[in-house]
Amino acid sequence: MDELTREFLIESQEGLDRMERCLTDLEERPRDADLLGDIFRSVHTIKGTTGFLGFKRLEKLAHAGENLLGMLRDGKLLADRPIITGLLQLLDGLRSILKSIETEASEGEGADSALIEQLEALQAPVLAQAKQPARIKATVHAEPEPPPAAVHVSSQVPRQTKPERTAPVAGKAPDEAEPEVSRPRTQTAGTAAESTLRVDVTLLNRMMNLVGELVLTRNQVLQATAADPNMTLLSRRLDMVTADLRENVMKARMQPVSNIFSKVPRIVRDLSQSLGRRVRLQVEGQDTELDKSLLEAIKDPLTHAVRNSLDHGIELPEDRVAVGKDPEGTLKLRASHEGSHVVIEVSDDGAGIAVEKVRQKAIERGVITADRAAQLGERELLQLIFLPGFSTAAAVTNVSGRGVGMDVVRTNVEKIGGKVEIDSRTGKGTTLRLRIPLTLAIIPALIVHSVNQSFALPQGALSELVHVPPEQAAQAIEWMEGVPLYRLRGKLLPLVFLDRLLMPAGEHKMATERDNFIAVLDADGRRFGLVVDGLADPEEIVVKPLSAVLKDIGLYSGATVLGNADLALILDPSAIALKAGVTMSVREEAAHGGEEDAEAVKGLEYLLVEAAGRRAAVPLTEVLRIEQLPVSRIEYIGYRPVLNFEGQLLPIEDTGGVLAAAEGDPDTQIIVVVCREGTRHVGIAVSHVLDVAAGADLFEAGTSQRTGGVTLLKERVTGIVDLGGVQALPPGLSTVEQRWNQIAETVA
Amino acid sequence: MSTATVMYPKASAEAVTLVEVCSVRLAQTWFGVPITHILEIVGSARPQPVPLAPAYVGGLVHYRGDVLTTVSLRQLLGLPPKEGTQDILVLECSSGCFGLLVDSVGEVLTVSSVDHEANPSILDERRKTLFAGAYKLKDKLLIMLDPERLDPMRLSAAQAG
Repeated sequence: MDELTREFLIESQEGLDRMERCLTDLEERPRDADLLGDIFRSVHTIKGTTGFLGFKRLEKLAHAGENLLGMLRDGKLLADRPIITGLLQLLDGLRSILKSIETEASEGEGADSALIEQLEALQAPVLAQAKQPARIKATVHAEPEPPPAAVHVSSQVPRQTKPERTAPVAGKAPDEAEPEVSRPRTQTAGTAAESTLRVDVTLLNRMMNLVGELVLTRNQVLQATAADPNMTLLSRRLDMVTADLRENVMKARMQPVSNIFSKVPRIVRDLSQSLGRRVRLQVEGQDTELDKSLLEAIKDPLTHAVRNSLDHGIELPEDRVAVGKDPEGTLKLRASHEGSHVVIEVSDDGAGIAVEKVRQKAIERGVITADRAAQLGERELLQLIFLPGFSTAAAVTNVSGRGVGMDVVRTNVEKIGGKVEIDSRTGKGTTLRLRIPLTLAIIPALIVHSVNQSFALPQGALSELVHVPPEQAAQAIEWMEGVPLYRLRGKLLPLVFLDRLLMPAGEHKMATERDNFIAVLDADGRRFGLVVDGLADPEEIVVKPLSAVLKDIGLYSGATVLGNADLALILDPSAIALKAGVTMSVREEAAHGGEEDAEAVKGLEYLLVEAAGRRAAVPLTEVLRIEQLPVSRIEYIGYRPVLNFEGQLLPIEDTGGVLAAAEGDPDTQIIVVVCREGTRHVGIAVSHVLDVAAGADLFEAGTSQRTGGVTLLKERVTGIVDLGGVQALPPGLSTVEQRWNQIAETVA
Repeated sequence: MSTATVMYPKASAEAVTLVEVCSVRLAQTWFGVPITHILEIVGSARPQPVPLAPAYVGGLVHYRGDVLTTVSLRQLLGLPPKEGTQDILVLECSSGCFGLLVDSVGEVLTVSSVDHEANPSILDERRKTLFAGAYKLKDKLLIMLDPERLDPMRLSAAQAG
């Protein structure tokens, strides 16, 4: 494909995207001259350029559309619903031809005559009137068609000789001279055109790669110069610049979510018409940015979610009135940043999911037993709609009223390392939350050792780690006809020994002769324990693709370079599960959910920690990870201890006095339990992590009131760490650089 | 040159072309790779092994921000693996880049097409597919390697077939 055609395709697609946005707006403001002008220009530009490039089919179709649009723009017709539907069909027609040009380099075979006729029929009222002499006053303006899109080089081709049947009225002409830019209309046209630039994605990928390289080199420089006081300042500066550069290159790959949100109004319009719903769409956080490839990946899940909300969430207008709601339902799309994630919410104020019906259906379909179902809480029941098999359209649409393709939504989002959460209240509505990582190229991973090598295990699939020392291995690891199993809180977990999987022919130490670390993985609903020889630190790794030969092995999803310059292969948990034959039926998985819930009935689970001789409990659900580090890593802002974790500052709570106790020796290892508190993260300094146990409620003697702040753990009354009480960091430290400066000052 | 003309009248009919070749050693044998295919030479590397990879894969190395798959020439020729580090030729072929693990890299020689001879017929089939004839140097034979034939993708296809 030559350069000119490619350019044409890109511009036309952008034009059509803009047209789509304008058309849905036009339905609300049918007389908006700006909108009409914009739509007209999009189609006109395509028509002008196609003539030049020789795409006859496209030209003919665009011409028919242009005629109709001309009349709308001149106010001879009002953009009513049938006309907008016709124009949307025109848009689809143009798109499909463009697609065929892109993929097959030809316009393809296809009859547009029906569509052209339809577009002409829509002009009929005007054409009929035009026969009456009184209406021919437009001819007064003999001025030629003004160049509608002067900025587009391609449209200057003097091909528009065909006289416009709908010559523009003079008053509208200045609008058209307005330069066109490939940006949303809200931006000021001139500046946007001057300050933006089209860059090839492959170039950005290469830059990202090189920055990853720089990060690694920096890590090595930092390690090498750590001992030299003269280099500290220099290496700190290098560290800062690298972090900043990385952030900015990542930003260059970012696109606003409005790129995919802009498709939604059309879907809402079409669906609400065909389903007889009345829906108002609210969009928030359109300018939240996300990596381009991730944006592509969530396009389908988002569409699914919107369809679901309209199809099963929002009720028919009369039903809404009957329950005292506004006949017009609201569908809200919201994008926002939350830590290192972008959260995309699709919420409706519809009927919500009838949890009882989900329960019934689950039992009926044999997904869970009636006993289990009775134990399950509302939240667990809602999770069932994500199970494959639970979401076959016919089965669910008429029962639970939700669930079509929900497993597809979950699979797609999890594929890119994201998470899906659902929240629903009967009669009030449903909120689906997609939690998407900011970028694909850098992922958090746990480095593990096996067969004398390092491997990276993506943390997205990792749910917990269990250490089985050699002397306990004989009892802890049980065998069932040659299949190793581990009892994880009373439940059998199939084990996969990584060394045996990777080197089936090699000699392996028995589990009783070495330390065993079980990484409990959850890959696409398959739960298993991967046994490795050793664990290293978690690292943010830069994913590098593997050559096709190695990809074919099927166990590795990529490779990465670690901080110590070693290479590590990135393990693919679901491929390992598949290779090792770990499968889990829906029945088992649901049963597993039930087991968790049964524990929840007993009481919340807590992480039991010890800080300077005292025991304390941290709610396990809030624990993100546990870090072991030398006390010298802790820095201070004023008197507040903080941990700089790759540019993210973590306030450290030290009520136990662990930091003070370790003060004298900078090499003392301390443990920081990183917890979630609302939307922020906080760290708790402890000296040991003891165990995980279920807590029991305690009651005050006499009043029998449930006591807050303490729980019964391992038959001892244990205080619960108050995460909310951890003071927030001073606001205003918004950028990494500012934080650094602040730290630099306080350290100096 | 005149002797060459007498001995190889066919070669003299074509124009004599000079080729620059990088010589590499493997055990006692010298091999040649046309320098036009060499992107870079990386000295004393220790590739990271890839469990379960085809045997001819020598492992992975970190090369300019990418992870490069290497092919072990020793393994391809059925030689025992070498202790310690090896040198890597980063080669370019039609399907991308890969590394070739050799014992050591020699020098760049200019050889003449008149000294080239095709693979002898008694060579075993495996070697016939890997070698692209040899140049007769004064003191030794320089066996030519064709990067296209060493491409891991092609090797895996050959293995499957």
